[in-house]
Amino acid sequence: MLALTAAACSSTSSSSTSSSSSTQASTAPHAGGSLTVFEWNGYSGDWPAGLDPATNINGAATQSQMNAIYGELFELGPKGAIIPDLATGYSITNGGKTITLDIRQGVTFTDGTAFNGAAVLWNIQRDLKSTCTCKPTWMVTSVTSPSPYTVQINLSAPDGAFIDQIFDSIADWIASPTAVQKMGEKAFAVNPVGAGPFEVVSDTLSSVLVLKKNPTYWQKGRPYLDNLTFKTVGGDEAAYEAMLAGEGQVYEGMSTPSLIKQAASHFNVVNESPSTVYDLQLNTLTPPFNNAKARQAIYAATNIQPILSHIFANAYPTAQGFTGPGGICNEPTVPGYQGYDPTLAKTLVQQSGLGSVTIKLGTIQNPVAEETTEALQTEWASVGIKSTIANYPLATLIAQFVSGKWQSMVQTAGAWDPAAGVGVGFRFESTSPFSGVHNTTLNNLLNQAQAVTGLSQRCALYNQAAAYIAQNYFGPFYFAYAPANVAVKNVVGPGITEPLPTVVVQPAILWEDVAYTS
Amino acid sequence: MAASLPDLLVTAETARTRPPRARATAGWARALRLWVPAGFLILLAAACFLWPQIYPVPKPVGGSVLNAGLPPLSPGHIFGTDPVGNDVFSRILYGGQVSFEVGFAVTAIGLLVGGLLGMTAGYWGGAADAVISRVLDVLIAFPALVLALAIAEGLGPSEIHVIWALCVFSIPATGRIARSATLALREQTFMLAARLSGTRGPRILLRHVLPNVVPQLMTFALLGFGVVIILEGALSYLGLGIPLPEASWGSMIAQGQQALTASPDLVLIPSAFLFATVMSLNLVGDALRERWGVR
Amino acid sequence: MAVAEGLRPGARTEFARRALGSPTFRLAGRRVLAAIAVLWGVTFLTYVVMNLLPGDTAQLLLGANATPAEIHQLSIELHLNEPFWVRYGNWLGGVFHGSLGASLQNGENVTTILGARLPVTAELLLYAFVVSLVLAVGLAVLVARWPNGIMDRLSLVVSMLGLSVAPYVLALVLVYLFAVKVQWFPALGYTSLSTNPVENIKSLTLPAISIGLPLFAVYTRLLRADIVEQLQREDYIVTARAKGMRPWRIVLRHALPNSMFGLITLVALNLGTLIGAAVIIEPIFSLPGVGDILVQSISDHDVPVVEGIVVVFAVVVVVANLLADILYAVLDPRIRYGRVAS
Repeated sequence: MLALTAAACSSTSSSSTSSSSSTQASTAPHAGGSLTVFEWNGYSGDWPAGLDPATNINGAATQSQMNAIYGELFELGPKGAIIPDLATGYSITNGGKTITLDIRQGVTFTDGTAFNGAAVLWNIQRDLKSTCTCKPTWMVTSVTSPSPYTVQINLSAPDGAFIDQIFDSIADWIASPTAVQKMGEKAFAVNPVGAGPFEVVSDTLSSVLVLKKNPTYWQKGRPYLDNLTFKTVGGDEAAYEAMLAGEGQVYEGMSTPSLIKQAASHFNVVNESPSTVYDLQLNTLTPPFNNAKARQAIYAATNIQPILSHIFANAYPTAQGFTGPGGICNEPTVPGYQGYDPTLAKTLVQQSGLGSVTIKLGTIQNPVAEETTEALQTEWASVGIKSTIANYPLATLIAQFVSGKWQSMVQTAGAWDPAAGVGVGFRFESTSPFSGVHNTTLNNLLNQAQAVTGLSQRCALYNQAAAYIAQNYFGPFYFAYAPANVAVKNVVGPGITEPLPTVVVQPAILWEDVAYTS
Repeated sequence: MAASLPDLLVTAETARTRPPRARATAGWARALRLWVPAGFLILLAAACFLWPQIYPVPKPVGGSVLNAGLPPLSPGHIFGTDPVGNDVFSRILYGGQVSFEVGFAVTAIGLLVGGLLGMTAGYWGGAADAVISRVLDVLIAFPALVLALAIAEGLGPSEIHVIWALCVFSIPATGRIARSATLALREQTFMLAARLSGTRGPRILLRHVLPNVVPQLMTFALLGFGVVIILEGALSYLGLGIPLPEASWGSMIAQGQQALTASPDLVLIPSAFLFATVMSLNLVGDALRERWGVR
Repeated sequence: MAVAEGLRPGARTEFARRALGSPTFRLAGRRVLAAIAVLWGVTFLTYVVMNLLPGDTAQLLLGANATPAEIHQLSIELHLNEPFWVRYGNWLGGVFHGSLGASLQNGENVTTILGARLPVTAELLLYAFVVSLVLAVGLAVLVARWPNGIMDRLSLVVSMLGLSVAPYVLALVLVYLFAVKVQWFPALGYTSLSTNPVENIKSLTLPAISIGLPLFAVYTRLLRADIVEQLQREDYIVTARAKGMRPWRIVLRHALPNSMFGLITLVALNLGTLIGAAVIIEPIFSLPGVGDILVQSISDHDVPVVEGIVVVFAVVVVVANLLADILYAVLDPRIRYGRVAS
C-alpha cells in the first residue's frame, strides 16, 4: 500500500540516520520472517488490564499491540496522510455534526465472523458505555448503521477534529462482537480477536504478546511478517543490550540521548516526526506564578538552544507553541513570544519578588524530562531564581496536579491534532485538572478551534491561542519531542525506516507494512 | 537459655571473657592490618568532607550544559562530567558526604535503638523479651522495601526519609544480635556474681553487658555500612532515594546505569570508590575481630 | 555445666523423660504461636502503611482523565470509602476463607496473579540461594583450610566486589559479557520449566547470579571467619589435632557442621530482603514474577496485590526462621539440655 521508497530522510526529521545508501533493490520488502519488538515497561510495555479496546486503560500507550491485533479504521501515515484501513472513507455533513464512516467490505475477523457496519456500531456503542476513562469524549446524540457498510455518528455540537482524534481513540479498534459475547469480557481481554494483520497466539499480560500472521487479512500480500512478538523490557540499556545480543529487532521509544548516539553505530535510528512539545506548565492560580511578571521572568530566563545542542545533540527542534513539525497547524515561531533575555529576566525577578522564594519544579521520572529540568534549574539560578527539583512517578504526579499544590511542572503538551488526547486542552483548559490556566478567552479559542471544520480556520484559531498564551506568559514551550525507534538494519517499514508523525508521544507503526529486506 | 537464638556472630559459648589466644605473628603486622584500612577510610571521609572547603572544586550541581558529557581527564574535570554538565569529581566528594552520612546514621541508629532493644530483651527476659522479640520478628518479616517505597512516595524522597526507611532494615538485625549476645552473657559466672553482690539491673547492663556486646555489634555494623550504601543506591534506582540533582554514590550509579554501555565511567567511578570503602570497612572489621577475640 | 549433666549416670532416662514433655516441644509450640502473631502483625502493618499513602486510590486507578463522578463511583464499588477497620476486617476475613481479594487495578483474583507470577520469582530466588550457598560453603571450606593464603586473599577481593557492586549494574554487565559478547545466555525473557527445562535454567542464570553474588559474598566471608575461629580456639579441635586427626577431616566433620548453624540463621534472616532484590532484577531481565509488579502496585495503591505478595513472603520468612530455631534447638546438645525457657 505504501510505496517504500529508499529510506531517505524526510524533511521533517532533523537527525534521522537511516540505512546507508543502498540501492532500491536491497530495500525491497520480502515476505516472511519473525520479528520481536521491545516495549518499555514504563509506558508501552504495560497492559495489566488486557487488550480489549473498551477496557484497556493503557490503550494509547499500547497502540502498537492494539494496531497489530485490530488494525485501525483510519491510519496516520507518513507526512500526516490519513490512510483508510478498515474504513474506506468518511464524510462530514450537517455543519460538522454528522460523521458518516464507510466500512470496508470483504473483511472477516480472525474468528471467521463478519466485519461490517453492525460490528462497528456494536463496538462504538460499547465504547461509549464503558466505564473506562479511555472512552471517547464525543458529544454523541446517536450512533446508527443506516446501511450494512456505513456507520453514522450524530453529535450535538460540531467537531472538526473528529477524524483526527480517531487515531487517539479506542473507537479506532474494532473487536469481534461474537468473540466478546462468547468468551466474556475478562477472557477476551487476554485473548483478543480482531481483524488486523496479526492474530493472538499467546498473551502474558505486561510481559510477552505473541502474534502470528492473520491468514484472512483483507489486504492481499500483507502482512509481510509471519510472526510478530512484543516483549516488555526494563529500560533503554536493557533493550539496547538485548538487541545487540540479537534477541530483538526493534525497540520503540529510546530516549536516553547518549544511548541513541551509540545505537546509531549498530542500528538504524529514526527520530519520528514530533508533534508533542515539552513545555513548562505554570500554576497561575497560586503564588508566585499568579503574577504575570514572574511568569515572564521564567520565559526570559530560559535559553533552550544550548540544552538542545549539548544534551540532546540537536535531535529535537525548538518550539514556541504546542505544535510540532509532525503535526497539523505547525507554527514554529509565535508572534510576541518572549525569548531568552537574561538582563530582562533579572529585572523581572526583582520586580516580581520571584528571587525571594524557592520554586518547586516538578517533572516525571524519565531521562529527557529529568535532564531538561536539571539544566533549567541551573540556567534560572544564574538570573537569581532558586528552585528545587522533584521528579515523580506517574501516580504521584497525578496526585500533585489534583491537589493543586504544584507551582511548575515540566510536561508534554500537544498531539498530532492539538484537539486530540494530551493535546493543548489537557494542559491549558480550565476544566482539566492538569491545567495551570483558568482563562475563559483561551477556553473559547480552544473549543472553537476544535469545533470548526475547515483546516485553515482551525489552524488560524490555534495560532491565535498560541499567541494568547505567549502574550499572557502562561507557560514557555521548549522543544518538539519524538522518541527514537531503533531497528536492525535489514528491517524496513513506516515508523521504522520512515518517520511517522507521533500520535501521542509515539507514532503508530504500521505493522502490516513492516518487512525484512534480505 | 533454651530459647536463645543462635546468630552467626554469637553462640552460647563464644562470648567468653577469656582473653584471646596470643597470636604467633608480630604485633606490628597486626597493627598494620587495622590501621592501613582504617587510615584509608579516615582519609577518604576527610577528603569528602574537607577537600571542598580547603581547595576549590566545581559545584556538584548546577553545571553548565556547555560541559555536558565530557570524558575523564578533560581539562578542569578530572573525572569528566555527567550528561547535564556537572563535574563528576566534585559529585564524588559531595556524594561521598551523603553516602557516609546515610551509612553512618542508619548504622548508628541501628546500633543505638536495636542494641538497646536487644539488650533489654535479652537481659530482662519474660514479657519484655516476648514483646520486643515479636516486634523485631515482624520488622524482619515485613518487607522493608514496601515501607521504604511508601515513605518515599508519601513524604517525598529526601536524605532523611531514606535514612528512616533504611533503619527498618538495620534496627531489627542489630536487635537480634544484641539480644543473642546478651542472653549468652547472662549465664556467665561474673554476671551471677554481679547480681549477687547487689548491683542493680541498669548498672549491670552498662558496666558488664555493654562492653562485651559492643565488639560484636561493631563488627556487624561495619559490614552493614557498605550494605546500607548499596541499599540507598537501590532506592535511588527505583526513583525513591536522594532526589535530583543532589548526588550520592548510590544515586550516581543508579543514574549512570541508564546509559551503561555509552558512558561506563559514570558507573565505574562511583562503584570504584564504593568498592574501596566496603573493602576497607571489612578489613577494619576483620582486624577488630582479631583483637577483641570474638567471631 | 550443661554438658556435664548429660554425662551423669541415668542420662538416657532423663533424655527420654525430657523428650516427651520436653522444652523442645514446648519451645516449638510457643514458637508456632509466636509465628502466627508475627504473621498477623506483618499484614496489619502493611495495611496501615498502604493506607497512609497520600493520594486518592480511585483517582490513581482511573488515571488522568477521570471525572469526579467516575472517581466517586469507583470508590463506592471498591469499598474505598469505608473506614480502615472495616476494610482490613473484610480483607482478613477473606483470607480465612481462602481468598486474597481482587486487584483494584483490573479485578483479577490476587490468587490467580500470584499463581502465575510466584513460581517465577520462587524459582529465581531458589536458584540464587542454592548456587550462592553451595559455592559459599565450598569456597569457605577451601579457604579456611589455608587461612591467609592466596585463595583467601582472592576470595576476599571477590567478596568485596560482590558486596560493593550494585545488583542492577551487575545485571547489565553480565548481560553485556555473557549475552552480547558471547551468547551463552539470553539477555532477557523467561521460559517456563514445563516448556523447556534447559532454556528455563539458562533464562534464570544471569538473574540468579545478579542476586546470588552479594549473598555468596556475605556467606563466604562469615562462614570463613566462623570456621577459622573454630579451628583456632575450640578445645575439642585442639584435642582432635593433638590426637593426630587429619586437617581436612577436622574441617569437614567438625568445624563446618558447627558453623552451619550460624549460616542457617543468617539465611533465614536474609530471606525477607530478597524481595527487594527481585523487584530490581526481574524488570531488567523481563521476568514475569512478583517483583515485576510490586513497585507498580504500591504506586497504584493496589492494596490486595501488595498484601498478597507480602503475606506470601512473610509466611516464607516466618516459617524459615521457625524451622531454623527448631532445628537449632533440636540439634545443638548445648541448647537441648539448657535451662528451661521462660
